[in-house]
Amino acid sequence: MDQAGGILDGAEGISVGGFNRFIGPLYRLPDEPDGRTHFAFKVLDKHMNFLGTVHGGMLMAFLDISMSRTSRLASGAKSCSTISLDCEFLAAARLGDVVESRIRVARKTKTMAFMTGEISVGADLLVTAQGIWRLVF
Amino acid sequence: MSEAPPGYAQAELLDPFEVHIGPVFERCDDGGRRFLLIADERHVNMRGVVHGGLLMTLADLAIGQAVWDATGHATVVTVGMQSQFLKPAHVGDRIEVTPQIVRRTKSLVFARGDFMVEGEVIYTATSLWKVLANR
Repeated sequence: MDQAGGILDGAEGISVGGFNRFIGPLYRLPDEPDGRTHFAFKVLDKHMNFLGTVHGGMLMAFLDISMSRTSRLASGAKSCSTISLDCEFLAAARLGDVVESRIRVARKTKTMAFMTGEISVGADLLVTAQGIWRLVF
Repeated sequence: MSEAPPGYAQAELLDPFEVHIGPVFERCDDGGRRFLLIADERHVNMRGVVHGGLLMTLADLAIGQAVWDATGHATVVTVGMQSQFLKPAHVGDRIEVTPQIVRRTKSLVFARGDFMVEGEVIYTATSLWKVLANR
């Protein structure tokens, strides 16, 4: 099995096509014991900005993909679309870092999922986020 | 694909991730610089809809350029960004924005942008920037 460039055991590639593949590879890891979903990617040259840190757009795209997938996993929806996503950037990631996201579903209705998420590298919290997704069955 | 449409020039992109998703075009508008991205197959999800991650990256890029202009080319970083996705965009759509600076203080810049396709707003972003240092 592809070990995601040494990301972690049990990593499952999720970058099968489209924009996800274009910016990937991204991976899903086993859920956290508290129920949060867990995703990761390893920082490559293409993810960077000229300041030598990971581009904010890449981090937001990673959250968008992590949260979209979580909304579908939690609801069984066939597809979903992002309605809103708010992000706060606390710290930066660097080349070679393994960047992880953890997503919690705060509330789920028939047509919407409300989620919170965070991005971290090791013990350092980099991004906190809240978002709303529309679910299509 | 990398040919600039009439009236536009190719924007100079310094960040490798922006080069990866580009090209992005620009022209001078009444309200400042206007940015244009023409959505292609790389930018869409499996359903053929332009990915939210692409729009957020374009927002960070375009609003960042406007903030860079407004600060006399200071080093700036995104501290927060809020996005609302109003309508899907597809391959071939011309996504345009003229970012606005809402307020600027010594250490912070508040900015926003409405992203349009054929005269309709499809996506809006509001972001907060920290000014690290002037060059």
